[in-house]
Amino acid sequence: MRVVVADDAVILREGLMRLLEEAGFEVAGLAADADELYALVERVHPQVAIVDIRMPPTHTDEGLRAAKVIRSRWPETGILVLSQYVRPSYALELLSEGTEGIGYLLKDRVSDLEELSTAVRRIGAGGSVLDPSVVAQLVGRRRAADDPLAELSGRELEVLALMAEGRSNKAIAERLFITEHTVEKRVKSIFATLRLPQSADDHRRVLAVIAYLNSQ
Amino acid sequence: MQAAIGGAALLAGVAAAWLASRSQIEASGPIAAVLALVLGWSFIGSGLVAWRARPENRLGPVMVFIGFAWFATFLADARDPLAFTVGTALENVYLVGFAYLVLAFPSGRLRTRVERFVIGCAIVLATVVEWVWLLFTDSRTIICPVCPRNVFELVRDDALSENLLQGQRVAGILLSLFMLLLLVSRWRQASAPLRHSVAPVLWTGAATFAALAVSVLNDVFQQPLGALPAWVLACLFASIAIAVLAVLLQQRLAHTAVAGLIVEFGRRGQGTDVQEALRDALGDRSLELGYWIPDITRFVRSDGAAIDLPGPRDERVSTVVERDGAPIAALIHDAALRHNVELVESVCAAAGLTLDNERLHAELHAKLAELQASRARLVEATELERRRIERDLHDGTQQRLVSIAMSLGLAESKLARDPAAAAPVVRRARNELMLALEELRSLSQGIHPAILVERGLAAALDELGRRAGLRVRLEISLEERLPDRVEAAAYFLASEALTNAAKHSRAEEARLAAWCDDGTLVVEIEDGGVGGAGPANGTGLRGLADRVEALGGKLTVSSPRGGGTLLRAEIPCG
Repeated sequence: MRVVVADDAVILREGLMRLLEEAGFEVAGLAADADELYALVERVHPQVAIVDIRMPPTHTDEGLRAAKVIRSRWPETGILVLSQYVRPSYALELLSEGTEGIGYLLKDRVSDLEELSTAVRRIGAGGSVLDPSVVAQLVGRRRAADDPLAELSGRELEVLALMAEGRSNKAIAERLFITEHTVEKRVKSIFATLRLPQSADDHRRVLAVIAYLNSQ
Repeated sequence: MQAAIGGAALLAGVAAAWLASRSQIEASGPIAAVLALVLGWSFIGSGLVAWRARPENRLGPVMVFIGFAWFATFLADARDPLAFTVGTALENVYLVGFAYLVLAFPSGRLRTRVERFVIGCAIVLATVVEWVWLLFTDSRTIICPVCPRNVFELVRDDALSENLLQGQRVAGILLSLFMLLLLVSRWRQASAPLRHSVAPVLWTGAATFAALAVSVLNDVFQQPLGALPAWVLACLFASIAIAVLAVLLQQRLAHTAVAGLIVEFGRRGQGTDVQEALRDALGDRSLELGYWIPDITRFVRSDGAAIDLPGPRDERVSTVVERDGAPIAALIHDAALRHNVELVESVCAAAGLTLDNERLHAELHAKLAELQASRARLVEATELERRRIERDLHDGTQQRLVSIAMSLGLAESKLARDPAAAAPVVRRARNELMLALEELRSLSQGIHPAILVERGLAAALDELGRRAGLRVRLEISLEERLPDRVEAAAYFLASEALTNAAKHSRAEEARLAAWCDDGTLVVEIEDGGVGGAGPANGTGLRGLADRVEALGGKLTVSSPRGGGTLLRAEIPCG
């Protein structure tokens, strides 16, 4: 799979390159800011662009804006935004552009080569990835006493969180050591409890769950 | 004295009327006698009133002089040769007084060189030229057929006498017209309050100069208009005295405004709009009031905003109100009020106590504004500092740690497949960790130097001096530990000042001194560099001053261009 990396810190973009190559990706180019990234994407048409959220000139949310530009100009390129901080609002802003081929991960995750390569592959395949800590923040928010979320069992909450991270039923089943069928049952029950419309589509249900968690 | 003048005026008037009524010259008679009396007495009377009301103003005496000079002209109607000659010699002197009165009104002083020149010419015409003329004049041929003998006649020269007379008249006409022009131009330049106060005198004066010019012209051409111009002139001349009196009375009336002001303050008490009350009392809507703030040595408005006094060339003038020898306020008002110094001063005296109160209010406002500004700057400085620390952490330590995490992730992967390749990756991770620790150490040093906590200010300054970017001569004598915030403020002051010196001063050496003096910590940082440092170029100094002031201290900066920079902080620490 062909990827590109954009980060203004040399040490990080080269580290990432070594890791990705170790995991078997083809790193087709490195960029230090958004403009370099656009030129790179235009030239090599990567399947996934891995972008640091803070880049010159303002060092605030250039990565986020770059993601939106790439989404509109090269919709076939997946985007993984890396950030040093967990910010649900950034994640939601990113996902509002559509959940296909979009990911938002904490930078720390890159140390786990397995996790990193899974996430990149999932985004390359059109899936979505949301950092567990973002989901944890969304789920853990203080809620009203009559919130239906309180009615979910512990197991159901785990499934909900994994769903929100963008995992498929199969991945959730593997992670929780249960059958895919059980996962399907739990998902149905969760959607019923939260009064959300059922959706067979993995992508749509991520959005539904996130929107639910954010709105309550 | 004034009673004596009044008595003399009565006698002189009666004498003049008697002379006028017995005159052998045409156009004289009972009416002329009455007019003579009214004119003279009105000038002397108005003059005495003005003299009493405004002793410092010359116009009172000038008017009295005009009255007597007017009476003196009636000596020319006498049958005695000497009296006739003296009367003739003085016949135009009253006009000089009159010209002075109109030009110098209302201040009593001539302002410009042109005005002084014009009056000088008038004096020469009325005295020197007149008297020289008399030396050559046979009174019966030149003046009138029935006149007494001219006792001053030295050599009879009819042609010379005639020419001198006509020359004097032409010069008189030109002078009158020129004074008319002066008055018109003065009117055009006058401010509204000035116009208001001088209008009656200025316009009557201008009309009188015009009538004078016409009347003398009439004489030059053997009186084609008969006696009419002389009568018009006499009437206008008489009305001048009344106009002057009217203006003076009006100004006296303004003095009652002072009493009104006192009542006003008494009634309204605290919270009175002093500026508004002063505007009413002085009749100047444009008046502005500034209060003296000793701390910043400036005048400020009641809301605390600074205000500048007009310079000597401005159209507005200021009157500074003092109390116990120290300024408390300044009125910035129209220049016309300058002629009424007395009124402004009495108004200020009446407003004195209230002004002092209001000044304290304004001072409070000004201090509050400065306090708020310095608090805002402190908050902003703190915010900037936090942002800097976050950036340092993000760009430094966090990145190193992420990079270490990546190296370890890579090493983990290598260990499984190719253990030999893992060793260099782990070594790289360890080096990164060392760098991260080093960065963290220097960062925490910047946030709060450990040595300051452990060993105190003296040791921290000592270390600061060794690490500075230029040679530092240390003169530190601190025996005891001081309160933490005082030590921190002094440390960061010294640190910033030495950084500035190393960066901007181009000096090779600096002096860092610190000592305690009677409960006050004094810190001085001095370099012999280029100077020119101030709060304006960069907020660094302002922020340091805020920090020192927040502890009740004071930071003084002396940095003349080319003369080095001396920072001196005094912080209470007792």
